Amino acid sequence: MRLFRLLLVLSVIAAPVAADDLTIVSWGGAYEAAQRQAVIRPFAEETGLNVDVTVYEGSWTDLAERGRAEGWDVIDMLADQARVACARGLLLEIEPGSLFTSEALDDFTPHGPDRCAVPQNAYARVMAFDDRAFAGVKPSRIEDFFDTTRFPGPRAIQRSPDGILEWALLAEGVPPEQVYGLLSTDRGLRLAFRKLETIRDDIVWWDDPAEPAQMLLDGRAVMAAGFNGRFFDAAQRAQAAIDIVWDGRIIGIEVWAIAATTDVPGAARDFIVHAAEPTSMARLAMRIPYGPTRSSAFDRIGLNPDTGAPMRAYLPNHPQHGGRALVQDSGWYANTEDLRQRRFRNWLEAAE
Amino acid sequence: MTAGPDTDPAPPLLRVMVLTGVALVVGVAASLAAIALVDLVSLLNAGLLVAPRARVQWESMPWLVATTTVLVPTLGGLVVGLVHRHLSPDGRPLGPPDVIKAVQFHTPLADLRSGVISTGTAALSLGAGASVGQYGPMVYLGAIIGGFARRLRLGVPNLASIAIGCGVAAAISTAFNAPIAGVLFAHEVVLRHYATRAFAPVTVASVTGYVIVNVIFERPALFRIESPGIMHGYEFVLVAALGLLVAAGAIVFMRLLLAIGPILGRWIKRPEMRTAMAGLAVGLTALALPDVLGIGTSTLRFATIDGAFGSGEVIVLILAKTVLTALCLGAGFSGGAFSPSLLIGSLIGVFFWTMASGFAAVPTSGAAIYAISGMMGFASAVIGAPLTCILIVFELTRNYDVTIAAMVAVVFSNLVSHRAFGRSLFDVQLARGGVDFSLGRDRAHLGALKVVDYLHPEAVTATADTTPEEVGRRLREKGWREAFVLDRDGRLLGVFAPGSGGATTSIAAGVSPARLVFDDTTDLADAMESLRGFVGDAVPVVSGASGTYLGAVSEADLVAAWLDEAARLRKEENASL
Repeated sequence: MRLFRLLLVLSVIAAPVAADDLTIVSWGGAYEAAQRQAVIRPFAEETGLNVDVTVYEGSWTDLAERGRAEGWDVIDMLADQARVACARGLLLEIEPGSLFTSEALDDFTPHGPDRCAVPQNAYARVMAFDDRAFAGVKPSRIEDFFDTTRFPGPRAIQRSPDGILEWALLAEGVPPEQVYGLLSTDRGLRLAFRKLETIRDDIVWWDDPAEPAQMLLDGRAVMAAGFNGRFFDAAQRAQAAIDIVWDGRIIGIEVWAIAATTDVPGAARDFIVHAAEPTSMARLAMRIPYGPTRSSAFDRIGLNPDTGAPMRAYLPNHPQHGGRALVQDSGWYANTEDLRQRRFRNWLEAAE
Repeated sequence: MTAGPDTDPAPPLLRVMVLTGVALVVGVAASLAAIALVDLVSLLNAGLLVAPRARVQWESMPWLVATTTVLVPTLGGLVVGLVHRHLSPDGRPLGPPDVIKAVQFHTPLADLRSGVISTGTAALSLGAGASVGQYGPMVYLGAIIGGFARRLRLGVPNLASIAIGCGVAAAISTAFNAPIAGVLFAHEVVLRHYATRAFAPVTVASVTGYVIVNVIFERPALFRIESPGIMHGYEFVLVAALGLLVAAGAIVFMRLLLAIGPILGRWIKRPEMRTAMAGLAVGLTALALPDVLGIGTSTLRFATIDGAFGSGEVIVLILAKTVLTALCLGAGFSGGAFSPSLLIGSLIGVFFWTMASGFAAVPTSGAAIYAISGMMGFASAVIGAPLTCILIVFELTRNYDVTIAAMVAVVFSNLVSHRAFGRSLFDVQLARGGVDFSLGRDRAHLGALKVVDYLHPEAVTATADTTPEEVGRRLREKGWREAFVLDRDGRLLGVFAPGSGGATTSIAAGVSPARLVFDDTTDLADAMESLRGFVGDAVPVVSGASGTYLGAVSEADLVAAWLDEAARLRKEENASL
C-alpha cells in the first residue's frame, strides 16, 4: 500500500516534467504540416507554450486506448467520431457560450460548436475525372458518375459505403435534405444499392485515400470518388489533367475537441479559441484546400503561398460553387456504422 | 344568423391601413405557428422513434423498434382520446369544415380552448405516427390566429372572415413554400369569393408567410420535385386516364372515412378506446409496412423514384394507407386528410405508371410525372380545390410541363368525384351537418335562414268557438284577409277567410285547409321556392314535431329577407375595399 502511494506521488510529480505543455493530436502528412504553419506555430509563438504534435489514425478508439497514457490534450477529429467519443465521456465538455461571443457562434457555418467539439474546417468527398478521357462533353453532375453509357470507363470508389450511398440517391433525384432520411429506411438502402449495381462492373476499389488521384493519373480509372484535397494536390502540384465536379459534394466537418483526461484544460481551450479565429482558418485554407467553418474567414483567403493558386475556388464549401451540396450527417454516421458496413458487405458478396 | 358584425365603415384610407396591418400581423403569426407545429411534430417523430432517421439509430435492437412501433401510436391514440374527452369543451378535433362554416356565416370559431387542444392533439397524433395529415390542423391554427380579429372593431365589414382567410393562406403558403397556392386555397375553399377587400389582404398574408419561411428561416419546401418534363404527347391522355382512376380511389377513400366513424361509434363505446384501437392497427401494420406511419414524407419521395416499389407492394400500400387513414380520422385522431391523400394519390400514380410502362410497355417520362399527377388529382378531389392543387405543383416544381400534366389529372378527377361524391370531403361533412354548399354560397346562406325567425307579430288566430263576426272585425283591424284556426291544443286546423264562401254561421263551417304550411325547419330558400304561385298574405308556421301553430310569416317579409340576404352577399363578394 505504501509503495502504491509512493508511486502515485511520483507519477504526479513526474507527469508535468515528462509531458509538453500542450499535446495536439492530428493526422500527419501534408495536412498536419499546413496545420503547424497556419495554426499551431502562431499559437506557440503567441503564448510561449511548448506544443507537441502527435499523430493518430482518426478513430475514437485510439483516443480511448492511447489518450491518457500519452497525455493527449487537443484532438483533431471527424465530427461523427467526436460525437461518439463525447457520448462515451472521452471528451471534455466545452460550453461554447463561454468560449465564443454570440456573434462568433452565429458566424460558424454550416453549424456551430456542440457539446464537445468546435468545427475547424470542411473537407469534401467529391467526384473527379480524367480530363483526357472525355474529349467532348465532360461530366458535370453526380448522375454522370452512374451513367456509363454517356461516360464509359472504370470508376474508382472507396471500398466502403461512405459517400457512395448518398450519391446513389442524389443521382435518383432525391434532394440533399432528404438523403439521410431515406437512407434510414430499408427501401432507401435497397434503392441506393440498386443504383450502385448499375455500375458494379465498372468499379475499381481503393482503400488508401491517396489512390483515387493516382488511378486517374495512370489511367486505371476515368472517374473517381475521393477527397477534394487529394485531387487538388494531384492537379496543382503534379499538374495532372484532373478536374473536380462540385455537384453532389459531401461536406464533412473536422473538429477540435479536448480529451477528458487533459491536465491543461485552460491551455487547451485557449488553443481552440485561437484555432477557431477566422484568421487562423483562412491561413489554413490558403495552404490546403480545406474550407473554413466560419463565414467571415472566406474573405481573407488569397493565394497558395507555394503554388500561387487562388485557393477559394478549391474549397469544398465555397459559396460560389453551384450544384448540390450535402453536409455529412455526423449523427447519422455515428449511429449507422454497423448497418452500413453490413449492408455493404452483403452487397459486395452478392456478386461472388 | 348570417349578418356580419355591425360596424360603421371607416374611411377608405383607414380601412386600407387596417386590412394591411391585420394581414401582416396575422401572416407573421400564422406562419410562425405553422413552422412551430411542423417542428414540434418532427421533434416528436424523432423522440418517439417514428421518423426513419430515429428508428435506424436503434437498428441493433429490433425488439425496441418493434415495441415502440406498436406502443407509440396506441398510447398516442389513448392520450388523444382522453384529452378530447376530458379537456376539450368541444370534445372532438376541429378542422377545415369548422373554419369554412365560421367564415361563411360570420360566426365565431369554436372556443379558443377547444381550438388549442385540437392543435395540441394534432401535434400528438402526427408525432405518434397516426396516419393523418398536418395541413388540416395547420389551416385550423391559421384560422385561430385570424379569428382574434373578431374582437377588433376597426370599421372594416367582415374583418374577422377576411383575417381568418389571411391566417389560412399564410399557413398553407408557409407549409408548401407556395404563396400563390396559399391565396387560392383561402379563396377557393374557405372564403369562396374573390372580393378585392379579401383578396388583397389574403395575398399580403400569404406573401408574408412565404417571406418568413424563405428569407428568415431559409426552410426548404416540404417536398421538392425535379422533373425532366413530358416527353411524349400521348402521355397527356394517360394522365387524364390516371385522373379518372384517382377519382375512383378518392371516392372510395372519402366514403370509407365517412362511414367508419359511426360504425366504430357503435362498436366501441369509449372514445379513447376507439383512437387507441386505430393506433394499434397502425402500429401492427407498420411492423410489416413502416411506410404507413405518420405523414409519410419519405414514402412520398420514394414514389417519385422509378421502380422504388414493386407493383404488388404498391397495391398493398395503397389499401393499407387508405384503410388506416379512414380508420384514424374516423376514430377521432386529430389531423387532416390532405397529406395522406397526397401519399395515396401518388402511390396510385406509381401503380398506374408501372402498369403503363411495365406491362403495356408504353414509353413514358418516368414515374415522377405520374406520381405528381396522381397525388394532385386525388388530393384535389378530397379538398375540393383544383386550382390550389394545380398551383402547388407549379410552385413546387416550377415546371410548366409537369403542371399541365397535373392540371389534366386534376380536372378529370374533379369531374368524376364532384358528380359521384360531392365537391369535397369538407362540403359533404358540412352538408351532413345541415350546411349545404353544393348549390353555391348563396343557396347555403338562404338555407341557413329559417322562416320561423321572420314570424309576423300581427297574424290573426281563431278557435272554433270564436264567432265569424269577431274574426272579421279583428282582420279588418289588422288589415289581413285570413285568420288561422287552431284547435284547443294550439294545433293548426286551417284557414278562415270571411266572405269567401258567402255568409258563414260558424268558423268550423268556413275553415279550409291551409294551401301552404311551413314548419320550423323550413329555410328561406325552400320557402321562396314554394311561394311560386301562392296567393295570400301569410303562410302559417307550425312546429314540425307537434304540429303546434307557431305564427305566420307574411309573403312581403320573406321577399324582403331574401332581398336583404342577396344584397349582403353581393356586397361582400364585390367589395372593393
